[in-house]
Amino acid sequence: MDPKFTEVSQVFQLFKAAFVRKDFDTCMKLLTQLKVTLTEFKSLPPLFEETPNAIQERTLARDIYEHAVFLSVKIEDQDALERDFFQLKPYYTDTHGLQPSTQEHPILGLNLLRLLVQNRIAEFHTELELLPSSALENPCIKHAIELEQSFMEGAYNRVLGARQTVPHEIYVHFMDLLAKTVRDEIAGCSEKAYDSLSINDARQMLLFSSDQDLVKYIEEEHPEWEIRKGFVFFQRAKESAPCKEIPSLQLINQTLSYARELERIV
Amino acid sequence: MAGAATMVSSAGGLLAMLNETHPALKLHALSNLNAFVDYFWPEISTSVPIIESLYEDEEFDHRPLAALLVSKVFYYLGELNDSLSYALGAGHLFDVSEDSDYVHTLLAKAIDEYASLNTKAAEAHNESATVDPRLEATVERMLDKCIVDGKYQQAIGMAIECRRLDKLEEAITRSDNAHATINYCIDISHSFVNRREYRREVLQLLVKVYQQLPSPDYLSICQRLMFLDEPEGVASILEKLLRSEIKEDALLAFQIAFDLVENEHQAFLLNVRNRLPSPKSLPSESVHSGSPEPGSVQSENTTTTEDVQMTNGSQVDGNTSSPDPREAIYAERITKIRGILSGENSIQLTLQFLYSHNKSDLLILKTIKQSVEMRNSVCHSATIYTNAIMHAGTTVDTFLRENLDWLSRATNWAKFSATAGLGVIHRGHLKQGRSLMAPYLPQGGAGGGGSPYSEGGALYALGLIHANHGEGIKQFLRDSLRSTNVEVIQHGACLGLGLAALGTADNDVFDDIKNVLYTDSAVAGEAAGISMGLLMVGTASEKAGEMLAYAHETQHEKIIRGLALGIALTVYGREEEADTLIEQMTRDQDPILRYGGMYALALAYQGTGNNKAIRQLLHFAVSDVSDDVRRTAVLALGFVLYADQEQTPRIVSLLSESYNPHVRYGAALAVGISCAGTGLSEAISLLEPLTSDVVDFVRQGALIAMAMVMIQISEASDSRVGAFRRQLEKIILDKHEDTMSKMGAILASGILDAGGRNVTIKLLSKTKHDKITAVVGLAVFSQFWYWYPLIYFISLSFSPTAFIGLNYDLKVPSFEFLSHAKPSLFEYPKPTTVPTTTSAVKLPTAVLSTSARAKARASKKEQDKTNAPKSSGAEPSAGKGKSIDKDEDSMQVDSPADKKAEPEPSYEILTNPARVVPAQEKFIKFLEESRYVPVKSAASGFVLLKDLRPNEPEVLTLTDAPSSAASNPGGSVTGQQSSASAMAVDEEPAPPQPFEFTP
Repeated sequence: MDPKFTEVSQVFQLFKAAFVRKDFDTCMKLLTQLKVTLTEFKSLPPLFEETPNAIQERTLARDIYEHAVFLSVKIEDQDALERDFFQLKPYYTDTHGLQPSTQEHPILGLNLLRLLVQNRIAEFHTELELLPSSALENPCIKHAIELEQSFMEGAYNRVLGARQTVPHEIYVHFMDLLAKTVRDEIAGCSEKAYDSLSINDARQMLLFSSDQDLVKYIEEEHPEWEIRKGFVFFQRAKESAPCKEIPSLQLINQTLSYARELERIV
Repeated sequence: MAGAATMVSSAGGLLAMLNETHPALKLHALSNLNAFVDYFWPEISTSVPIIESLYEDEEFDHRPLAALLVSKVFYYLGELNDSLSYALGAGHLFDVSEDSDYVHTLLAKAIDEYASLNTKAAEAHNESATVDPRLEATVERMLDKCIVDGKYQQAIGMAIECRRLDKLEEAITRSDNAHATINYCIDISHSFVNRREYRREVLQLLVKVYQQLPSPDYLSICQRLMFLDEPEGVASILEKLLRSEIKEDALLAFQIAFDLVENEHQAFLLNVRNRLPSPKSLPSESVHSGSPEPGSVQSENTTTTEDVQMTNGSQVDGNTSSPDPREAIYAERITKIRGILSGENSIQLTLQFLYSHNKSDLLILKTIKQSVEMRNSVCHSATIYTNAIMHAGTTVDTFLRENLDWLSRATNWAKFSATAGLGVIHRGHLKQGRSLMAPYLPQGGAGGGGSPYSEGGALYALGLIHANHGEGIKQFLRDSLRSTNVEVIQHGACLGLGLAALGTADNDVFDDIKNVLYTDSAVAGEAAGISMGLLMVGTASEKAGEMLAYAHETQHEKIIRGLALGIALTVYGREEEADTLIEQMTRDQDPILRYGGMYALALAYQGTGNNKAIRQLLHFAVSDVSDDVRRTAVLALGFVLYADQEQTPRIVSLLSESYNPHVRYGAALAVGISCAGTGLSEAISLLEPLTSDVVDFVRQGALIAMAMVMIQISEASDSRVGAFRRQLEKIILDKHEDTMSKMGAILASGILDAGGRNVTIKLLSKTKHDKITAVVGLAVFSQFWYWYPLIYFISLSFSPTAFIGLNYDLKVPSFEFLSHAKPSLFEYPKPTTVPTTTSAVKLPTAVLSTSARAKARASKKEQDKTNAPKSSGAEPSAGKGKSIDKDEDSMQVDSPADKKAEPEPSYEILTNPARVVPAQEKFIKFLEESRYVPVKSAASGFVLLKDLRPNEPEVLTLTDAPSSAASNPGGSVTGQQSSASAMAVDEEPAPPQPFEFTP
């Protein structure tokens, strides 16, 4: 067995132990160490050299990255999640004889959910298109797709209700985040749709349980809104810039110069 | 790369890794991205800001790698500027030897950038201009690599472009074939280096390198030195060669001298001559011969250098018993080389060649003469012009002598040009020019009784005879100019003086002419203006300002026009130096001065193909309000582009379809000028439709231009030549054709057969040096639009197409060589037979008689011609040479007859001296077992021959026949003042010694 491989495996064991212990600081340190060591393996993407231990090494690397994804969910670091996911992705797309991982679908679904939370709908669909049709049947992915559909339809209550039916415990965190995304979306729409709303209506609309939550939300996210006489006044979005003036003088000059040039043409 | 199969399908993973905190991960990502950037650049391009920030991160260790990656991405995005700046940041990671599109493109970009920065810095004369050192380092790496890889041509090209003379020198010295490399270098420095000063620097460097070579190529060095105008260098090389023990070295020196003469740079040659040290064998002699020479350096006009040489030479010859034989040999050689440098030898040999090989077809002239109406003076004088051009330099004036009655119909200015025509016919006849013209020259006081027109013409003729070699005649012309008040004579004298003193910048002469100018007479003033320009050609002297001021002052358009052209001539070849003056002229209110500005552009940038000049000319060609200026602007393009002939038809093709006839005319002449003598197919195709234009003067220009293009092109190589000859004949014979195009056709037939069919129009010498006389000649010729007598200036641009081999004694030995092509490709056009078309317009009875007479005349002519070399009188020592001439003639006569029977041979043996047309040069081969070996392998011009069997007796050809034949016609043309000729002969300086004079 390759000493390097053994070393990585041992470190990974330590990492897993720390992960179970929820000692995330140790995890982070070990993970970085693991990642650096992994760059020394030629069999991993993007080189894919067919070394004797290629399959094992790749399986191990995939395992490490999958754990890295979970770790970043646990520490609620969306950037790290994105990074780790992209580094993991080649193991799913370019398998090179690798056995499919059991964690593949949950992680793909997690990524979809992340995109949904970040309101990156275009990328969400791009990812979706890349998935094989069989994967769409998987509950984890199906969950994300349904959420997206509800989200698009505006059936926000269904989105919020889906929290109870998460297919994987790791999704819960994202469902919380999703609620906020939904609220932002509603706020954006209300702003456009109404001049003002009574506080009561606004609270219902924005799915808050108490007026305090609403007031706090407005203070944090929309300081330009005004609460007055039991009503929330939305500042109208700035008028779109007036139509540009027709650059008549420039046009005239240009036309005249064309005419002059035409006369010169032999 | 192992192929796409083992590749990731996305760079997303790697890009994500860039955001990791650990530097090792970043490095891993970067290096992998760098490897895959060719496939994933679209993906990476979205993350460029991240990579850029890595590059800018001072703490990151692998900034160059990041820079390289960004550079590559920018390259793929087409942002070459950004790409370059990051590539420079990549430092050594940017591998110049990598064979990829990326590296090639960026290197090209880097070199362009570097070159343009350096050029800008050099042009602003700002040495401290800041060039990015990284850029410089990159370019240097590239240059070094080229040199190491042996790609010297690339290295040279880049070094020149980037103004890195140090690298240029390195490339040349390290190349394995230095001579070839230098020649390449010279070629590109002439064709691609636009700025004159910089070209000088390059050439200076080349000369330096040359001199360091173990076996220097003296021929090339001297050519470079000539361009640099360093007569001292040439003189010292010549002296070294002449002092050598080996005979070949002396031959080489002679060859150098001939090559220098070919470039027609009179002032330079004079300097070289004066700097050649005299032999110092005898103290008394050296004192004697030394003293006149410094005098001639200071004022060339007072002492005629010819005289100096002659005394010098004869004294040395007489002293063969001097103690030091080596000095004696040197003295003998130096006499010879002085003779060559003075141009005498080449002019004399050319004259002999043109005389002996004259193949002009008098029947053509006769046809023209008969078909031209008596009263039509334009066509009448056009015929006289044509005769002169056809016989330019041959000394054959049979036609004039046979048609004295007809000639006498020329009056006034026609008489002027008829007399001047003699000058063209006798061009180069330096020794007897004056005695030939004596009957017509002003006779000092009222005693002459000749008409002022013929007197003026005679002075002009003297100028034409002595063009660019006028040391001997200058004084006489000056005297004539001063002693007359008749403006016609002044006109002739001014032109003559300008021609004789071409480019000498002689202040005394200039003042004389200026006095004429200030009389404010239109006729004399015009000639004075042109003459001043001729005198000051290419000097860019401040006299131009004076001329410009007077042009503003005078009321006479003619004077302004003369001055405008004169000013243009002064800036000949000065390129950027002339810009201020050009600007001044082209902005002038007066269209005539703007017109002069066009000529100034043409002449200052002649042959350079300079883009700026072309752009300016094209601008004026379409935007000026005056037709004259537009016409000239187009015409001027011909001068700017003549070194790159293929371009001209392309550039003016659009203009040749202009609605404005003046522009069309200009386009025709531009093509005629720049493609003269090439027979370029595109040029002919462009001119063909113009020869049947709706406007008469366009037809005229097109016919003349066509003749210039087709000169010496045989029908066998381009069938359109034959068609054109028939077209000319048709136009001349057609009664309803208008005068303008008829005149064009008459002149065209003259140009087509110019100089006894043995000359072509050449603006570049064989060494790609511009021939100043030729260019100036054509420039003034193109003025014939306003003043017909200027047509004669075209004779200045004629250069004989001959191979003349010379032995050590500068005699022409009999020597054979091979032209490896079908003889019919380059043979003389067949002599015309009885014109058949004339019969159509005449009455049936007349048909018989005229055609019979013409036939008789034609056959007689034929006979005359074959007998000509024999019967033309004294040919003293040419027993064997004559027989060779005869052989050649019989071959010429036989070949058409035999053609039906047997297939044409694929080669032809030519005998020295032979006619070798430019297109033929590449087929010339020297026979291996030949007795003589040429010093340099040139296929035309004067070539010195090395004698491998010096002990055998030599057979010489080409002796001085024309001098004897032409000694008397001068008096007999009009028969008057025959006694005067004797008088004139008495005044002549002592007859030159190498001639055998048979009265």
